[in-house]
Parts: sequence; structure tokens; C-alpha cells
Amino acid sequence: MWSSFKPWNPDLPLMKAVPLERLVPEYIKNFEAYVPSKPDDVLKKYYGCSRLIRLNNNENPLGPPPGAQAVIRRFPPARAAVYPSGDSFHLREKLADCHGLHPDQFLVGNGANEVITFVIKAFCQQGDNIITADRTFSVYEWVAEFSGSEARLVPLKDFGFDAQAMLEGIDERTKILFLCNPNNPTGSYWSQEELTCFLEKISGRQIVVMDEAYAEFVEKEDYPNGLDLIRQYPNLVVFRTFSKMFALAGLRIGYLAGDPEVVDMIRRTAVVYSVNGVAQEAALAALNDQEHIHRTREMVKRGKQFLIKELTRLGLPHISGEGNFIMIKVPENDSLVYRKMMTRGVMIRTMTGFRFPNYIRVTVADQESLEIFVEALGRCLSPSQND
Amino acid sequence: MEAEHFKTLGLELSTVEAFLPVATGFAEKSALALGLGEEGALSLTLATEEIFLYLCQTIPAQKIKIRCRGGGYFVQIEFAIPIEDLNLKAFNLTARIDPEDEGDWQDLGLVLASRSVDRLRIWEEKGQGLHLELTKEKVYPAFQDTLPLPVPPLSRFFLRPPEKEEIKSLARLASEYYPSPFLPPFFRFPGKTVDMAAGGDFKTMVAVDAQGHLGGGILWYWRGPKIVACYGPFLFNQPQDSPMAEALLEALLQEIARTQAMGLLCRYPTPQLPLKHFETLGSFTYFPVEQEPQSIRAYYRHLQEDMGSTVWTHSDLKLFLQQTYRRMVLPREIREIRDYGEKRNPYSVLSTRFDRDRNLVTLYPLRPGADARENLGDYLRLLKKEGWRNIFFEMDLFSPWQVEFVPALTENLFSPAFILPNAGNGDVVLFQALES
Repeated sequence: MWSSFKPWNPDLPLMKAVPLERLVPEYIKNFEAYVPSKPDDVLKKYYGCSRLIRLNNNENPLGPPPGAQAVIRRFPPARAAVYPSGDSFHLREKLADCHGLHPDQFLVGNGANEVITFVIKAFCQQGDNIITADRTFSVYEWVAEFSGSEARLVPLKDFGFDAQAMLEGIDERTKILFLCNPNNPTGSYWSQEELTCFLEKISGRQIVVMDEAYAEFVEKEDYPNGLDLIRQYPNLVVFRTFSKMFALAGLRIGYLAGDPEVVDMIRRTAVVYSVNGVAQEAALAALNDQEHIHRTREMVKRGKQFLIKELTRLGLPHISGEGNFIMIKVPENDSLVYRKMMTRGVMIRTMTGFRFPNYIRVTVADQESLEIFVEALGRCLSPSQND
Repeated sequence: MEAEHFKTLGLELSTVEAFLPVATGFAEKSALALGLGEEGALSLTLATEEIFLYLCQTIPAQKIKIRCRGGGYFVQIEFAIPIEDLNLKAFNLTARIDPEDEGDWQDLGLVLASRSVDRLRIWEEKGQGLHLELTKEKVYPAFQDTLPLPVPPLSRFFLRPPEKEEIKSLARLASEYYPSPFLPPFFRFPGKTVDMAAGGDFKTMVAVDAQGHLGGGILWYWRGPKIVACYGPFLFNQPQDSPMAEALLEALLQEIARTQAMGLLCRYPTPQLPLKHFETLGSFTYFPVEQEPQSIRAYYRHLQEDMGSTVWTHSDLKLFLQQTYRRMVLPREIREIRDYGEKRNPYSVLSTRFDRDRNLVTLYPLRPGADARENLGDYLRLLKKEGWRNIFFEMDLFSPWQVEFVPALTENLFSPAFILPNAGNGDVVLFQALES
């Protein structure tokens, strides 16, 4: 009964087996590939629903800013045959203009996930470690592990990053500390004072990555702008994405910013031409569209008020911090809630994978979607549904 | 598993009777060298003798490999038969049964071998041939006394992996507070429990207070590449409303949340299992040795978002699948296999896994065949004659050829107990022999 598992698959054709045991590094063998969600049409077929409201990925239902939409609509098909700028030249110039930095201080990637990979490749080798929280965006941990580095996970404290515990976790092999500010999925954030205090204590010995994927949603006055701190703290690297506020998730584009020398090192690991032309131009048009940011923030503000009222009415504990999402504690297995919600055409994100079992995360979207969500959730959790 | 717990020795030879002393000598000396003890080494040697002779008769003059592996608390002998087009029929436990003469069953090499060891497993590796694996565990002393240890209710506790002595305490206390079906069988042997934990066979988390009082614990292990199974939570003298059980379970979930595990199974749940984290799989009947049978409800928890899949069925199983998938809200496209008179392999082949501690045997299909009903019937008779009371059959619905066994199972009074999602290449149905 307790013998170790031996793989056996009678459905594979007879062929000479590839000597994977010898070819594959140990840290890859122990790593599990991420399995993305199936396409909507396939999911709808399986779950028998005619529509699917996506409240699982913190996408912006308002869509890209008008300027970006125009770029996408006008993009000449013939341009698809031509390579894009290999290093997002114009976009970096515009970013530099907007943030008062030099273009060489920016590195654009195929989504923020790609720039995470660049940074870990640049600074970590086998035996090194990174430090982050146990219950945060999982990609830092994943990329570190499949790169052969150790991911040291510090428990959240009061749903936020624990600065002291992170500092205590540092040793001579620690290369990077990853912060998610505001944190996905709890919405907690470090203030300017907390962040600078942490950076002072690090004293430039390690790279500190601040993932600001949801920065544009935060209106709190004490919320720090990491880009403004790079001059003072050259070991600080800031991530931003166009996927959330600017609704370009389908085009995959994000960037990092840092000290010129630090970014020069990271650039050595970067894949050129990984960002397509329409993504670069749409991002350029989206950047700094204050009207779009304002409309989105208003939608999220109204949506949160509505959700909090309804969740309170349903008696469901919830955690609502910064960002366009809310985490909800449900009275049963979150993956069962996911399946029940899917049969009603509403897609939410289960939180077991974020180490919050029996929590779900829902995107704060438009009013109509949220009303459908609340109605579906109420029905899914009603006793009759569970009989 | 940690490298120091594994030592492997190898031998390559032909299946010729003249080499029998070489095979048995290798088994005995290797088992002793790997720390099995004389009695255990003798049992393993006898089983090796039976298997080797069986191979000499079944596949004479073929080159095979014998590996002996030490795993801390056990020693394994594995026969690797690198013949891709091997006639697997001979490796049914029942291969030489003469239905007219039940006395012949006593002389079956594979059956004899299975009696000498704790586990016998046969499996096929496509492109690699067949493997027969014999496992003999070391002999460990059981607990010497049965007096319960005093455990105060813990008003405050914290969770952590246990130290070596705490693992023994966990096993000891759990054995005092819970009846046997709800315990891992090895809990009766504290030394074995510690060795298994050191070898990475399972993980545990315990709840202790500042004074080191052990208030409870939970244990989990990998049941396959995608499923983790757990025992517990075990709580010792804690108040009914203690949050300890849920804290232990959540600690387990956090440990496995970002692994390849797609589900968590609790087949033998304690009353403290926090049901709000689980879904009911179904029930099966457990027949303890010399005790009344009891119905046990098994629980499961998905760990990931289910994105739907396709499963195969036979018409006899379809209603069960439809009802169960509906109850569990699992999106599955159910496809029915149909017989259009195509040529069928005449002989079916089954593999077995014995759990001697629970008096439980599980059958696995290796090859479908026209004789499935008779073959399964022979297995049932043999296993019952050997005293096995809990007989199960696992079918992977990913593979249409496995579903071909459904009529044979129905005719031999097997009944589907529950579906274990994603437990194989696809979902697995667990059947139980009704008259066991």
C-alpha cells in the first residue's frame, strides 16, 4: 500500500522512451507546469452555460482606453508581417517622459510575468534564494523554483507582508525580495514610510522587487510610488503591467523600471522581440489616460460598496483592500463554489492555490456583472443547493 | 525521498533453473545487507525463489534484471522483464487455475510468493516490459503498553512538523483515541512510523502548546501523481468546539496548495474532519478481520478549478456516472463505448495490490479480453480462498479499454462505490466486491 508510485500509461504508443531521468534537472522534475484555464467556449460547453461572466482574473470590463482601442482597430494587417521594435523603443521613451526617468531604466516584457523571469535569471543561480510572502501572487515562487532557486515564504501578518520576518529570512544567498504592493489577493499595502524603512534596513544588499500591478487603482495618499524611489534606492526594481487598469491583458505587455546599471544587467537576460507591435502601440496610447483611470476607479468604488453591502447581507466574511478585487470567505470548499458558479455562468477565482482555502476572489467589475454574481453566489450557497 | 534511505543492488541473469541459487543468494545477501533481518530475508528469498522458478517455466532462457532496494523500513526485490511483446496472460495470479481442480491453487508460484511478503505488485511499463515487485518490511516492536497519556485541553496551540519522538507520541495517542480503520496501519509500530516519516513516505503536522503538550495531528501522503490522501485530524482530549482540527487541515492544504496535487482524499475520516472543506465521495463497506462490517463514507476536496474533461463509460455504468457527476457538480462529457463486433483479445490481464494490514486487495486492469468475466471470477474465488475480505477494483475512465471490464464486474457482483476525480489519467471509479 505504501509503495512509491510508478508511472504507468497503457495508452501511449510503443516507442523508445526518452531518457528523461538523465536529461532533466532535478529541480524541473519536481516542478509542476502551470495549467491555464481552458478557453471560454470549451468551459461553457462543459458547464452547460450560455454566457460566461469572467470575474476571475481582475480584468477591467471597461476595456482598453479609447486611444488604445483606436490603435487596435486601425492596426494595418500588413504590419503583422514586420518585426516590432525589439526593445519597445517608443514606449520606453514615453514611460521615461511620464515618470522622469531615462528610457534605459525601463525594460518592457511580454506581460509582467516575463519580466519576473528576467529578474530571477539575472540575479539567481542554483542555491540562491528569494524571499516573498506565502500568500501572494504565485509567479515569484514558481519562477524561482523552476529556475533552481529556493523560494523562502514568509507568512502574511494581518493579511499583509511582514517586513521584520522577511528581513530575518535573509542570508548570504538571498538575492531578491519580492513585494506585491498592493498585495494580490488581500489588497493590503505598505505605506511610503513602511517601504522606505524596509529599504533602509536592506541597505542595498539585495534587490527589492516591488510589484505594482494594481498601483493605478490605489488612491490612498500614503501609498508609495515605487518609480519615485528608484533614485534614492538603486536596488529597487518596480514592476507595472498594462493588463489590469489599462485592460490590455490579451496583448500581454508589462514593464519594469530600475536603476540604469541594474536594468542593464537584467536586460542581458531579456528576450528581444517578445512584445508584439500592436501591444507596444496600444500601451503607448493607453499610458496616462487619466479619464480612463478615473472612470475605472469610480466603477471599482461603486462596485466595492455594492459588494460589501451584499456580502454583509449574505453573512459572508470578506477582505476588501486596494485593487479591483475582493476576497470572500465561503462556508464550503472554494473549488466546489467555483463549479457551482460556473454552472450559472459566473467565473471566479478559487483561493486554495493562494493558500487561502475556502476563500474566493472576485473581480470588482460593472454593476450588472456584480448583480449577477451576487444572485448566483446566494443561490449556490443556499441550503437547498447543498442537499 | 532522502538518498541515504535508498540503496539499490542489481543483478542480470537468464531465466534458467541452474541460476536459481544465484537469484536466491542475491536476494538473501542483499536483504541482509540492507538491514532486513534474518527472518525477513528468508521470506523474501523464498518469494524470490517462487518468482524465479515461475519465470523459468513461463519465459525460459530470457534475460531479466533483479534489483534489490532498501527503503529504510522495507526491502524490495524487483524483477524487470524487458520483453515488450510478452504474453501477459501468464502473469495473472490465476493463470494456472484449473477450474476443475481447486487443489491446484496451492501450487501457484505467484500466489505462494504473495503469501511470503507484505506486498506483491505487478505492473507493465510500455516499451520497458513487465515488473514484479516484492516488498518485505522490517519487523518493528509494537507499543509495549496501552495506557493513555494525559493530554490537557490546549487553550492556545501552534502548528509545526513534529520531532521524531513527537511522531511516536502522535502514533501512540492516535492509537489510544481512535479505532483501527481510521488509523494508518503502521501507527501500531512507532519505529516504523518514524522510519517512514524520515524516508518521506508521509508528512505530518502537529498542534502543540508552549509546554510541548501534543493536542492533535494530521498525516498525509501522495496516493499517486495527482492525489494526496490524509488520515485524521486526530484530536486528543480537546473540547468539541476546538479550532484545532480546522487549523490542522488548513495547514495541510497550505502545504499542498501549490503542488501538482489536484485533490485531497480522506478515505478513512475521523469524526473531527471539518466537512465544510470536503465533498462526499460515497460510501464503501469495510470488513475488519473478525469484526462486524462497517460502512465508511469517504470525502474528497478538489484543490484546483475543474475545467472539465471527457470520460468513457459502458452503458451499465452510465447512470451511476451521470448521477454522481451531477451530485458532485463535475463537468464531464460522458462517452459510451460500443461493441461493433470487432476482434477482441481473448485473454484479460489483471494486476493486484495487497494491503495485508487492512485485509484489502485492489485489482487493476492491465489488458482487456474476452475472458474478463471468467478471469475476474477466478480472481474473486482465489482471493476469498486466501482470506481476503475487502476486494476492490479501480477503473480509470480515461481509458476506454478499461471500461470494457464493466460487464465482467457487474456479473461478478462488483458495485461502484465512488468516483475519485483525477486519480488516474482521468477520473477513477472504485468498485467493491459485494459479497466480500
